[in-house]
Amino acid sequence: MSFWQRTLAILHKDLMAEWRTKERLSPMAFFSLLVLLVFNFSFELGGAALHEIGPGVLWSSFVFASLLGLSRSFADERENHSLDALLMAPGDRSAIYLGKMLGNLLFLLAVELISLPFFTLFFNLSPGWFLLPLLCVFFLGSACLSAAGTLFAAMSSNMRLRELLLPLLLLPMILPALISCVEATGLVLDNNWGENLYPHLKMLAVYATVFIALSLMLFEYAVEE
Amino acid sequence: MKNISTASKILSALVFVSMLVALGAVFLYAPMEKVMGDTQRIFYFHVPAAISAFICFFLVFLGSVQYLRTRETRWDRLALCSAELGVMFGLIVLVTGPLWAKPIWGVYWRWEPRLTSMLITFTIYVAYLMIRTHGTRSGQAPRLAAVLGIVAFANVPLVYYSVDLWAAEQQLHPPRNVGLAPEMRYTLWICFAAYALLLVQLLLRRLDLARVEEAVERLRQRRDELADY
Repeated sequence: MSFWQRTLAILHKDLMAEWRTKERLSPMAFFSLLVLLVFNFSFELGGAALHEIGPGVLWSSFVFASLLGLSRSFADERENHSLDALLMAPGDRSAIYLGKMLGNLLFLLAVELISLPFFTLFFNLSPGWFLLPLLCVFFLGSACLSAAGTLFAAMSSNMRLRELLLPLLLLPMILPALISCVEATGLVLDNNWGENLYPHLKMLAVYATVFIALSLMLFEYAVEE
Repeated sequence: MKNISTASKILSALVFVSMLVALGAVFLYAPMEKVMGDTQRIFYFHVPAAISAFICFFLVFLGSVQYLRTRETRWDRLALCSAELGVMFGLIVLVTGPLWAKPIWGVYWRWEPRLTSMLITFTIYVAYLMIRTHGTRSGQAPRLAAVLGIVAFANVPLVYYSVDLWAAEQQLHPPRNVGLAPEMRYTLWICFAAYALLLVQLLLRRLDLARVEEAVERLRQRRDELADY
């Protein structure tokens, strides 16, 4: 099997498992809505707050939801001892990383698309075509989150206190990407994107590329028994 | 374990003397800055600490890469000890910065690019140390830490780039190529030298300590093995 065939096999397996159990997507989406609610009551949000803290609230809810999903992505493999089998399969192990990363990316995008209507509702945002570039921000931001997150989830799945350590690993590392996600989302919500948006998208693309490349090189060491 | 070697004693004495000279230079030799007054003297501790922190972070990266290549414990030891020192120097930077900022900017902290970048970098290495202390079972710690040490270092330029993008208009931190009077420049060089000696001495002592820790760990394992019989 070629590298890409193996990557797609892993992705297919993860999507099938999710389709049958539905144990990641629905908790993630619900959790992201709960975070929106908690912020709403913590800050007395309303339409006026949209441009001040809306983007930050939105991305905080995505980051927290992604932590839930990421920690599950290797937890199942560990609990069923299936990671050993995956690792024993011949060939380049970084295909496992890429397959899992693409799976996490799809789950996260799904959660974001589910949350967005609720976000527009809670913040009295009238939807329109001007929100279209948001899809690009969501895609790149999720790519950053899942690129770094999948590597750290693989590392922490082997550690003691793994649920505690994944956020400690991911949150500081993801900050550069998060800054650009929040800024870019703010520009789109203000309907003020244009030249200002491009540097942030470039930053996200660079971050995702760097982390995918690093992870492909280092994944082997992160899961070695 | 052998006692502290003569070389180490000499190095300690050198650190002591160079620190005294640095203090003398900072407070007696360096001229008073016209606008900021005495507050500016914090600069002589702040800048060498920042450079020492980044040297340490580079050593973490170097140790991590070399560990994954060779699997020799000494490289892992270097990464661990450098990370601890890097966090310590980072803390000096983050403490001296606000002390300077209060009289100059009127507030201790601003979300200004240089401060924010340093803070994020600092948290990444604190997380690195936490993972090492709390997260890993023996045997796997060096390998996972090495992966993390490489990723953390690769992240540093990304942090700086993104934070600059985020708050470019808030740039208030004095630029790196600020013009200095010759006496100020000499004082800064003396402080660099003192900090470099301090860094080397602390690193060597910490590496010695790590070796002792490993020896104790081996003895403990041996005792447990014998107790199992």
